[in-house]
Amino acid sequence: MDQDEQDRALPIANVSRIMKQILPPSAKISKEGKQVMQECVTEFISFVTGEASDKCHKENRKTVNGDDICWALSSLGFDNYAEAIGRYLHKYRQAEREKINHDKKYENPHINRAPPPPLLLSRVTRDKVENPPPSPPNQSG
Amino acid sequence: MVMAEEEESGVSIQLEFPKGRVKKIMALDKDVKRVSSEALFLVSRSTELFLQFLAEKSAQVAIEKKRKTVNLEHIREAVKRHQPTRDFLLDELPPPSQPTKPDRPTQPAGRPKLDPPPRGTRRIDLFFRKPELDDPAQAQPPENPAQAQPPENPDQDQAQSPVPVDES
Repeated sequence: MDQDEQDRALPIANVSRIMKQILPPSAKISKEGKQVMQECVTEFISFVTGEASDKCHKENRKTVNGDDICWALSSLGFDNYAEAIGRYLHKYRQAEREKINHDKKYENPHINRAPPPPLLLSRVTRDKVENPPPSPPNQSG
Repeated sequence: MVMAEEEESGVSIQLEFPKGRVKKIMALDKDVKRVSSEALFLVSRSTELFLQFLAEKSAQVAIEKKRKTVNLEHIREAVKRHQPTRDFLLDELPPPSQPTKPDRPTQPAGRPKLDPPPRGTRRIDLFFRKPELDDPAQAQPPENPAQAQPPENPDQDQAQSPVPVDES
């Protein structure tokens, strides 16, 4: 596997580690099995991304957001994942808010710790701007 | 930047897969313009769940077949048993038994081109067809005798042009 192919797949070390966490302690994984599993999960990403991207395209939006991913998972038949991912989405947004508040504390010049780089803060701001709530469709009276 | 792991009721938001790699894979789709950070996070997390699911099912298959090592066949069987996974993944898996490709390319054996016979040589098959050409009914056309007559007057012949004159 050349470097270009490696960049287009998830690292096999991570794949192998997660598999071993799930498998019984006595179980082993063949080298071929690891490689196939690596391809499977990489294909999963492309599969979900494609479905979410199609939805964005139909709604004339350019940024794939978290709700699109949840919708794609449910649409493709991975309903269990959609539920778990929904909880993770909630947790993620909560963590993002806490992180923003945490960053704001260090804007105080009296504290010794250096503030985070501006790029991070602007990134968060840009993400918010790029995710406006979709406007409701106009209904003819 | 290492994301701080925030543990609340056992739910971890630390990612197992590198973000940059997941983003690069998502960007392989030409239709994908931009991806928000939360979408990237959710795809990464759902991929982890999918991997855990597939690993668990593969392990079950291996146990059923009384094997300690999970291999390609066990993963394939696990894929087959889950309809949504089979829909997008079964065609991607390598075939069960890979047929050996033929080493040499198949070329149709062409007949050697016959050189044209040298000029003036009669075809040999004419000798075998010669008896068929004997046709007694076929007669040679009669040869017309020349009707040209020498001029009778030698004196006029010397004076006039040598072209024969029509006496009619």
